[in-house]
Amino acid sequence: MKAFKLSIAFLLALAAATLLFFSFQAKDSLPQLLERMDPHQAALQDAQMQKARDRVLDSFAEGNRERTLRNLDRYTGGFSDSLVMDSRTGFELFFYENGPSLSALGMFLLVAATALTGLVFSRQGKWRRAALPVVLIAALYAGVYILENMVGGSSMLMTVLKKGAIYALVAVSMNLLNGFTGLFSLGQAGFMLIGAYIFAIFTIPVESRPQVYQYYAGGLIQFEMPTLVAMVLAGLGAAFFAWLIGLPVLRLKSDYLAIATLGFAEIIRAVFQYDGLGPITNGSNLLRRFPTFQTALFPFAVAGVSIALIALLIHSTYGRSFKAIRDDEVAAEAMGINLYRHKQMAFVISSFFAGIGGALLAMYQTTVQAAAFTSAMTYEILLIVVIGGMGSLSGSVMASFLFVAASEWWLRFLDNETMMGSFRVPLLRSGFRMVAFSVVIMVVVLFYRQGIMGDRELSIARLTRWLGRRGKGGRDG
Amino acid sequence: MAERVLELQHVTMQFGGVVAVDNLSMHIDQGEIVALIGPNGAGKTTAFNCITGVYVPTAGQVRYQGQVIVSAQPQGKMKALYAGSYKDFPSQRVTSTPDAITKLGVARTFQNIRLFKTQTAFENVLIATHLHRSSNLFTAALRLNHREEKQLREHALKMLEAVGLMDEKDELATSLPYGKQRRLEIARALATNPKLLLLDEPAAGMNPQETDALGQFIQEVRERFDLTIFLIEHHMDLVMDISERIYVIDFGRQIATGLPQEIQDNPDVVTAYLGVEEE
Ligand SMILES: Nc1ncnc2c1ncn2[C@@H]1O[C@H](COP(=O)(O)OP(=O)(O)O)[C@@H](O)[C@H]1O
Ligand SMILES: [Mg+2]
Repeated sequence: MKAFKLSIAFLLALAAATLLFFSFQAKDSLPQLLERMDPHQAALQDAQMQKARDRVLDSFAEGNRERTLRNLDRYTGGFSDSLVMDSRTGFELFFYENGPSLSALGMFLLVAATALTGLVFSRQGKWRRAALPVVLIAALYAGVYILENMVGGSSMLMTVLKKGAIYALVAVSMNLLNGFTGLFSLGQAGFMLIGAYIFAIFTIPVESRPQVYQYYAGGLIQFEMPTLVAMVLAGLGAAFFAWLIGLPVLRLKSDYLAIATLGFAEIIRAVFQYDGLGPITNGSNLLRRFPTFQTALFPFAVAGVSIALIALLIHSTYGRSFKAIRDDEVAAEAMGINLYRHKQMAFVISSFFAGIGGALLAMYQTTVQAAAFTSAMTYEILLIVVIGGMGSLSGSVMASFLFVAASEWWLRFLDNETMMGSFRVPLLRSGFRMVAFSVVIMVVVLFYRQGIMGDRELSIARLTRWLGRRGKGGRDG
Repeated sequence: MAERVLELQHVTMQFGGVVAVDNLSMHIDQGEIVALIGPNGAGKTTAFNCITGVYVPTAGQVRYQGQVIVSAQPQGKMKALYAGSYKDFPSQRVTSTPDAITKLGVARTFQNIRLFKTQTAFENVLIATHLHRSSNLFTAALRLNHREEKQLREHALKMLEAVGLMDEKDELATSLPYGKQRRLEIARALATNPKLLLLDEPAAGMNPQETDALGQFIQEVRERFDLTIFLIEHHMDLVMDISERIYVIDFGRQIATGLPQEIQDNPDVVTAYLGVEEE
């Protein structure tokens, strides 16, 4: 049995390695491939063909994958008579075209192989229990990647998934504070703004700065940072502001934090639009041309890692102290928990991840403008936290995707005036979506106060139990 | 001479015009079980709150193992409002937060039970082991402290075992019956590794058998954990049974102190307290 499992794992790993090897090799090989497809230099005689080929090469050099694929399709389709397509070329072309999906599949197989091997060599139940979630997470990521390559990166589904992942991170960071530490903060949008600006300011390529900062002589800052470094800096910047606010406010017993953070968010929004800071913030103008993400996997990876870190923290001895403070401050303090220190910790960490969320949102939107980070954004996130359940991370994640899908997609039709024959459907007009949304929220808050998850977490055990119960119920009925 | 664990000197706590504790002076020595009794509203819980840092007293000093942990004199508008009977205030000002005092080795339970309500019995105790950790945020979040974490968990289990709640360890704290919740509060206090344990009406709501068992239990934990115990209690049988000395307060003032036998025979106490109780 052991040997059987191991050989399966070995085969999986082999398949994975092959897939990964060929897709990585195919990634940069397009120019050589085009050479090989046209051994008689037909393109030199045919101006049309030459043009089509150049278009492929141009978009390839630009790094625009989607355009490259479209142009490649046109080129190979339009001039199939003059092109030589032997099996090796066809094979490599296939790997170029489907590279991301295939490498995602390869990754998934690799994880599966590792999990299988781990299962064989571990007698401890702990590893066995960890293996399934790892496989599921890998499957999720592979699924997202494959989906993206199937439906296209700019489809509504991918838009919702990307924004949902970003909102999930921000909602989880807010839940850490509001749901797990019992502190009521309303500054999430402000910390996201700081994160978004820091990220944008430090990543706009130096050569693009004259255009972006056109009213401020190219701006003050004349260097750029790698994306991930700027992202961490975005988090640190937001955390620093949180620390400053917490310094006086978190020492007070009562809940001044909500007022202080709300005020802070409003002030910071005005400050970043202030003309005097223009050389850094570009005043009330857009910041743009900073790196954005090429694939939905990026926000998924950053949000996933961040949420995992928050989850680990919540289940550590520090997280236990947070929950103790939430349940009963007086008792927590009597157990030796320093209220100020732990509240400050939760607040700073929450804001750090809100800053990272802000940076992701900037990348998602491709532009940043302070005016967009209104308190309405904070309320949206608060709603997600309430709908998902205060004190449930998985609830926040699920609610984020539901919320974003509903507001960006499913309920869009409410904003469009609709005619059924000559009958104009009443109420459906711009803005009605928000009305409908508010009603939903009110219903949730009034009748379903626990939200989707209450303070429980989604787990595989819970899921199987639930499915089992449903199955049984079905059979009985 | 026995080591002096706790000493209060002229402690007064005034809320607005109400003098809840008035010029209270007392001391507890290492290993003693001392009771604080008095009618409802006499200021017993307030005295506990002054010792544990929940309130900063209006005036007076508290020493723990010789160290001044609280030292206060009327501040701000209290200067004019002060209505205590003792007016020779200490000159230095020292305040400590409750967590700092717990860290020094003073743990307590609450009259109105204050368990962490969303947590299980085990988690309640585990939270209180927090003081023994040396891990920082990062080592804790990244699970680099698993050895320490294991020790904390073992310590918490030992405390649950000491109060006989092993069978209930995974139950929600607030779903336990009253008597067990009180025991759980004691387990939680013990988990901070105290030297001085303050119990605020630990037998409240217990029936006579439970109260009897509690008396035995308090003496056991004193032996086992080498504790000094300061206790507020209304059940006179329990107080007379286990305490070595008693302080009696009424309207915030000390009206008597002495051995249980002396207190029982003290006419002031009988009128102020025992008489009312037995009417
Ligand atoms: N935080 C407070 N604010 C105002 N008055 C208080 C406060 N705490 C206690 N008191 C008053 O102090 C007096 C003593 O209360 P307490 O110490 O709880 O009595 P005991 O524990 O002896 O029954 C009561 O009159 C009570 O109303
Ligand atoms: Mg009391």
